[in-house]
Amino acid sequence: MADNQDITKKRKFRFLSVFAKIGKSFKKFIFRFKDGSLGTKLSHFIMGAGSFFHKQIIKGILFLILQLGFLALMIFSPQVNDTPFGFKAIINFFTLGTEAGSIFTPTDNSMLMLLFGVITFGVIGLFFATYFANIRSAYKADLDLREGKTPTSFKEDIRQLLDTRFHIAMLTPSIIGIITFTVLPTIFMILIAFTNYDSLHPAGQVLFDWVGFDNFIAIFNGTGEISVRFAPVLGWTLLWAFSATATCYIGGILLALLINKKGIKGKKIWRTIFILTIALPQFISLLAMRNLLGEFGPVNNMLMTIGLTDAPIKFLSTADSAWTARITIIVINIWIGIPYTMLMTSGILMNVPKDLYEAAQIDGATKRQAFRHITVPYILFVTAPYLITSFVGNITSFNVIYLLTGGGPTVPGYIAGETDLLVTWLYKLTIDEAEYNIGSVIAIMTFIITATATLLSYRRSKSYKEEDAFQ
Amino acid sequence: MMQTKEVKLKSYKASQRTSLILSYIALAILAIIWLYPILWIFLNSIRTEFESGQLVGIVVSHYIPHAIGFDNFRALFTETLFPRWFLNTLFVSSISFIISTLLTLSVAYVMSKLKFKARKTFLNVAIILGLFPGFMSMIAIYYILKAFQLTQTLFALILVYSAGAGLGFYVAKGFFDIIPNSLLESARLDGATNSQIFTKIVLPLSKPIIIYTALLAFIGPWMDFIFARVIIGEANKKTWTVAVGLYNMIYGEQTDSNLFTTFTAGCMIVAIPIVGLFLSMQKYYVEGVTAGSVKG
Amino acid sequence: MKKVMLSALLFLMVLFGAVSCGGNKELLIWVGAESVDFYAAKMVEYVEDYNATNEKEFPYEVSVVGVDSSTAAATFLDDTDAGADIFTVPHDNLGKLIAGSSAIAPVQSEALLTQIANDNPQSFLDVIKGTVDGTEYTFGIPYVAQSLVLYYNTAYITEEQALTWEGIWEAAQTANKNAMTLTEAGGFNNSFLLLATDATDHSTTLELYTDGVQENCYALGDDTIAKMKWGQRFFMDENGGKAPSDSGWEVELRDEKTLSTIGGAWHYEAATSALGEDLGITVLPTFTLTADDAYGTATEGTVYKSGTFADTKMFVIKKNSNKAEYLEDILLFLSSKEVQEESFEQAANLPAYKNASTEFEAFEADTLDAQLARAQVEMFAWGISQPFGYNSKYNTYYYSKGAPDLFLEILENEDGSFSTDQAIIDQLTIIQSLWTTGLRPE
Repeated sequence: MADNQDITKKRKFRFLSVFAKIGKSFKKFIFRFKDGSLGTKLSHFIMGAGSFFHKQIIKGILFLILQLGFLALMIFSPQVNDTPFGFKAIINFFTLGTEAGSIFTPTDNSMLMLLFGVITFGVIGLFFATYFANIRSAYKADLDLREGKTPTSFKEDIRQLLDTRFHIAMLTPSIIGIITFTVLPTIFMILIAFTNYDSLHPAGQVLFDWVGFDNFIAIFNGTGEISVRFAPVLGWTLLWAFSATATCYIGGILLALLINKKGIKGKKIWRTIFILTIALPQFISLLAMRNLLGEFGPVNNMLMTIGLTDAPIKFLSTADSAWTARITIIVINIWIGIPYTMLMTSGILMNVPKDLYEAAQIDGATKRQAFRHITVPYILFVTAPYLITSFVGNITSFNVIYLLTGGGPTVPGYIAGETDLLVTWLYKLTIDEAEYNIGSVIAIMTFIITATATLLSYRRSKSYKEEDAFQ
Repeated sequence: MMQTKEVKLKSYKASQRTSLILSYIALAILAIIWLYPILWIFLNSIRTEFESGQLVGIVVSHYIPHAIGFDNFRALFTETLFPRWFLNTLFVSSISFIISTLLTLSVAYVMSKLKFKARKTFLNVAIILGLFPGFMSMIAIYYILKAFQLTQTLFALILVYSAGAGLGFYVAKGFFDIIPNSLLESARLDGATNSQIFTKIVLPLSKPIIIYTALLAFIGPWMDFIFARVIIGEANKKTWTVAVGLYNMIYGEQTDSNLFTTFTAGCMIVAIPIVGLFLSMQKYYVEGVTAGSVKG
Repeated sequence: MKKVMLSALLFLMVLFGAVSCGGNKELLIWVGAESVDFYAAKMVEYVEDYNATNEKEFPYEVSVVGVDSSTAAATFLDDTDAGADIFTVPHDNLGKLIAGSSAIAPVQSEALLTQIANDNPQSFLDVIKGTVDGTEYTFGIPYVAQSLVLYYNTAYITEEQALTWEGIWEAAQTANKNAMTLTEAGGFNNSFLLLATDATDHSTTLELYTDGVQENCYALGDDTIAKMKWGQRFFMDENGGKAPSDSGWEVELRDEKTLSTIGGAWHYEAATSALGEDLGITVLPTFTLTADDAYGTATEGTVYKSGTFADTKMFVIKKNSNKAEYLEDILLFLSSKEVQEESFEQAANLPAYKNASTEFEAFEADTLDAQLARAQVEMFAWGISQPFGYNSKYNTYYYSKGAPDLFLEILENEDGSFSTDQAIIDQLTIIQSLWTTGLRPE
């Protein structure tokens, strides 16, 4: 209870507390500067000075190299693809290019300018992180000296990296990778939503510019693709995510129960058959499905031979009704999705705590009762978190729709078809049509939906609360 | 009294038997449904119906082939660059799975067992980042790689596949969470450093999750046709991966589906090792899935 | 574990080192995948020739790579640096490539400009130019031509019947099959109806960016409406024409669900695979208006000849290539009449050269290849070049803003909502608006 109150209080003041924190660090910064030795003071201007002062030569050299490298980058603004990094990139970030070019001279590449601006900001951020690390390190050495200890040698630093600061050693490679290949690109992507970078502004040929919130307003305004198709696509995306999650979840549990039923022989073989779908690359199995269900494919051929229908049924992209295609997709998705739930549930079934059953037996419960009142609730309880991940996964599920119908049946006049999800629409808009700005808006909307779903359920889930307490 | 009980028992047994038979029937029907498309791919790969000297490569409406042989495989190896694509993919996936596994496991271990200041922030940021659709950032990734002169190389693909692996730590973290802390505490009391605890105690206990992570990372490049197409570029056939090559056989611009049987032959060659690998490591996969999902 | 990590790191570093930075000594040429071998051989010839006449080594390493032409344009637009020094695009992509400050370089050399002017039909000359900053430049060097032809099943359709859609339709009714399946429902393939012209005097009221002017689009002429009405009858009949099923037109042709298809040279392989010895190739048929179709000045009995986009594939030069002088000389050779003739004989590329059908011997051969070529050349008289090269917008407006779907809606008339003339006119008004502005009318 007290804990809860604490959290709400924290939330209320989070905004203020950020300022408080900044103020505190600033005070600390001033204090360190006043209190530190000459070396520490110097290292506010020349990185590594403090380390040299304390005879931590290698560390000092590393810091110095970093600072010189950074300054060189910022001042000399080296060019890649005729677009500069460094301080010029910061200017370009705001102007997005000024040179319109002509038939014989190149045009500023607004897209690269935006990207390099983002990267340069990232580099500046990293530089400041090391800059403060440099001051902290120098000051810590000061304190060590005052306490009569010798400042850590390079060797000791390394040793610390393997022990008390092991997390730094372990996380650094990942963080570098994530920043370069996930964080920076994501920021870049978000920024595109505020520009007019589209098919009429090809990068390097026509300049594009910042347009503020115009692209977001377009969702609610006008007769364009995004305003007409956004609501239907969003609706179908949610419906799809709900039904796909539910069908695969229930179906998977039922299948697991069936296979694990007492008396069924060859459990492993049965399981293996269903696992084949997981192991087979989806672009193969889905393509097979698409061709099998084709108007003149084997399935229709079979249905007509045994006399179930007279004319071939159009299941997918050419279906007469959007709902035929939608239901077909959901059914095929069951084929894809059930094995995952089945596998997971099988694993859980083996781990149902034995004492629960024993207790039930003592109480005189029949097997059926035990199943209904112990096995089922246990499975539901344990797999609850899986439902969230699965729901989010289905919202962003690309393969099934893209490979089966390509979004079709088409809605005459629009790119987004009847079965397009937000992600497949986004893909078509960016990769096929080069409408990057609208694509980016859709990506942000998708994010908002998945984030809401995740936060709502995740915050409440047991594992997150446990996380708070940290074991 | 006795008799009724016996009758009851008998009828119980009988009903149990019918229920068992019904279960078998249900399973058999389901198995047929599940195998139907997979078998069809296989049958198409060995279907060799000729017409006026040409292979009928397009989809036909009969399920069972009229003539079988290995001509599709011959066409695959002589008329396309498939062998090259296969080696490319093998190269990419064998390197990227090592890097990915290392990154994923180290992040998972840190998030699960070590206390430090930014832990919670990292956890939240990781969740948020995972929620952005990746397509948009593909363009940015392409140009970042290009700034390092790396696009259109297999190495760029390796980077793309493994650099973000750290974000996929959730399943492995769920597994590490189960390892009792007391075990680590006692090691710490014996003077072991954190790195020693990781390599000497945690890793040996984590075979299932290591294999699970490695398996998924290894299989990824064989299945991805989205990133690979952008990073490698459609123009550079020699550096394609199998997924890109096979995908373009069917969906490429101006390609016609008379390559369908060749495509299925390629699918078989890709699928058989993956399926084999998958089945032989099934046990670990199940443990991984269970650990990951249950802990969330 | 540490060892594994270390060796992995080492491996990584070695790989980093191994990645070369790609020298500038390479001269890269992209041509269609089907004729890589031919052009690679030609380039070897060219280099040998160069070395012999100039008595010095050709300064670049030439490599010829097969890249599908629309892929080439797309790749190039995404990242001009990733493109080749010389590559080929269908001319309707030109607009995109010269938008803004243009991504490709205009032809400068007099010799090449003269050759282009002398060797090509007027319709090609019109579409390879573009205006940038008020000046007109020539951007493309035509070397391959393509238009749509009819592929049909000779087991059901006689040569005589294949001359008219009515004949094919009749054959289809007899056999209870579909008369024709489009290869795709897109804006390229519906040109057979949209661009159909009066069979006697080639006239039509339809306008599509005439003279490259955005406003010059007109789809509301009496003949267009009459053609729609004829098309509607044809598409609504169960033995008539249809959009492709999700199984694909090849499957339908192969399984004899449909008897013919309209396709380009790039559909030839699949058509042969589907029909084998029963494959027939001819020009697109004519159709005759009945009393039901007549509208205004388009009277009953008027005969229309199916139209087509008669296109050229062309070489273009990357803009910031420092090898411009060499490139133009290479193109002078590759687009020459002689090479085009060899290319036709050896790689079955239909030449862009204007008098090919009378001057090239191979045209007379009694092979399917030659038949395909003859049919295409004949179709040129009934086609227009895609007028989208003038401006990148046109391409988008015509293909991507939904007009082709709306057009198919009229033809299929699924729920009967296009049964009245007014409904057809309304829909055509929307289509016309999409062509000119990219937007639906207010």
